[in-house]
Amino acid sequence: MNVHDTLFWFFSIAMLLCGVFVIANRNPVASAMALVLMFLFMAGLFVLLEAFFIAAIQVLVYAGAVMVLFLFVIMLLDIKASERRRFAFLGVFGGIVVAGAFVWEMRIILSQPVIPLQSGNTDLSAGLENVVKPLFQHYMLPFEVTALLLLVAMVGVVLLSKKDLK
Amino acid sequence: MTPVPYCSIFTALTPVLILVIGAFVALTLDIVRLRRSTMTVRNRTLGMVSILALLGAAVALTRQFGLPGPVTLLGQTLVVNHLTSLFNLVIVGLTILTIVISMEGDVGRHVGEYYATLLFGSIGMLLLVSTEELITIFVALELTSICLYILTAFHKGALRSQEAAVKYFMFGAISSAFLLFGLSYVYGITGTTNIREIAAQTTSSTLLSVGLLFTVVGFGFKVAVVPFHLWAPDAYEGAPTPVAAFIATGSKVASFFVLVKLLFIGFAGMQGTAFCYKFSSGWTMLLASTGAASMILGNVVAITQRNIKRLLAYSSIAHAGYVFIGFVAATEFGATSVLFYVIVYALTNLGAFGVLAALANRAGGDDMEHFAGMARRAPFLSVLMLIFFLSLAGIPPLGGFFGKFYLFAAAVQSESTKFGLLWLVILGIAMSAVSLYYYLIVLKHFYIIDGKDKSRIQTPVYLNTALAAVAVAVVLLGLFPEQVLALLKGLVAQL
Repeated sequence: MNVHDTLFWFFSIAMLLCGVFVIANRNPVASAMALVLMFLFMAGLFVLLEAFFIAAIQVLVYAGAVMVLFLFVIMLLDIKASERRRFAFLGVFGGIVVAGAFVWEMRIILSQPVIPLQSGNTDLSAGLENVVKPLFQHYMLPFEVTALLLLVAMVGVVLLSKKDLK
Repeated sequence: MTPVPYCSIFTALTPVLILVIGAFVALTLDIVRLRRSTMTVRNRTLGMVSILALLGAAVALTRQFGLPGPVTLLGQTLVVNHLTSLFNLVIVGLTILTIVISMEGDVGRHVGEYYATLLFGSIGMLLLVSTEELITIFVALELTSICLYILTAFHKGALRSQEAAVKYFMFGAISSAFLLFGLSYVYGITGTTNIREIAAQTTSSTLLSVGLLFTVVGFGFKVAVVPFHLWAPDAYEGAPTPVAAFIATGSKVASFFVLVKLLFIGFAGMQGTAFCYKFSSGWTMLLASTGAASMILGNVVAITQRNIKRLLAYSSIAHAGYVFIGFVAATEFGATSVLFYVIVYALTNLGAFGVLAALANRAGGDDMEHFAGMARRAPFLSVLMLIFFLSLAGIPPLGGFFGKFYLFAAAVQSESTKFGLLWLVILGIAMSAVSLYYYLIVLKHFYIIDGKDKSRIQTPVYLNTALAAVAVAVVLLGLFPEQVLALLKGLVAQL
């Protein structure tokens, strides 16, 4: 096993452990912290794929901005640690069914030959240019529409969360 | 590297740009100028501003008919041809009517935001119609959906409006997740987000079927077919009536249009069959089963409803079921009949909601009992309601009849040696008969049952005129269906 493989297994297993910790922990702040760690390990996987730009974005946006937002919400809502929940039979049963379906699907995926991409650039390592060029040329319209989408979302949040003065 | 043709992009996007400017003007005008004005003044002024913007967009859209041929820009994220221009015009028209209805009704205290959100919603629909690319479809659909969630919650004091908005939002978010998951599979297998390129390299693989399944489920939520319909009755009942009208018409038109493009162009090779003697997997099978379930459940449950908005919600679930019959036909005529039906359905439903919105405030509510004896209190609007409801039920001289007729005809013709789709058509006709019952119950309250209150209800002239125009359009679509169908057929053939 070379260094690359060792790192892959390390990052993957650490990610899974953090993921379990996120849902198993009853303190929301600890859960959020585990999520940060998970994002960091995921960035490590991207580095192994030589997708350095995505790795950097992963750390900046997810581990940085999104997590700060999460922590703010937890802090503002003043969420207490949740009580121990009772064993929900339906939940467990549903979880097993969904997980089974997922495993079945993964089997199909893994049994198929790898389909090479027929169009587009598959080389992730070229970095910034491969992200920016499609974004501002080919996908310019959805990019601009996203700006409108964010504006509407902002108007909506202000509108719905504002207390009406009587 | 090819240069980006900014000038033609600008021309193609002019209608959208006009609407964006209109929305900004409505937002700022409300804050800067109208803070101290009365509610009625604010409502009317901002409504007029929005209508002006929409009329500007309509003019820009009619100019697009003069273009020499179809325009494809930015790798098909922006497509302008006569069919998209026509449907954009339909959506702009529906938005104008929604605003006319809103100007009289109660839209809460945040008038500027209301009209701006409405305009942004229609922008999303315009973009949804004029694209052939998955990412743009998703972003435009989200823009529309988020505007509709916000609009549903506009009665901030009313608990029912809030509950409806939360329910709608939850279901909508889950459906978006389904849709995105499905689209990501499609991209993963085919390596492209372009509908036409997907069609060019459709290979039958299990994973692509999973992607297709999830995509259809996502759209199933948006157009509210069984079993993805649970949000619709609550959202329609809780939302302000003009908003319910907008959800039931504009968003449905755009969603069905993009579904036609996606299934008839993108997944043309995967339709399978739904003939009664030979089932094989594919999207027709999927749509046939959900469509049949929608027709049965929508029509049967609508019978027990006392609230007219809920009744219209269940009837719209049933109508989505009828539309799916046209999809199942999987022919060019099928696509044409779907588009024809969607236009007729949207106009009729908008008219019905408009009459409701005009009368409900003064009648004291939107349960059936409130409308008892309405024919004497508001004779003109009652006649319009008669036209709209008979058209929804599919009574011959009106547009609704020919809409259904073409859908059923497309299904029968698609396989005319053994009539494989006859089971679906028979079910559709039987369920139409059921639907006649509950439409007539509403009309019975309008015309036969006497109400306690006998005072006349006065409605503004502009509202009456607008609703009358819709009724005339419904009647005309019934009188000259062949011409409209021929027009649509020509446009669909160019796709």
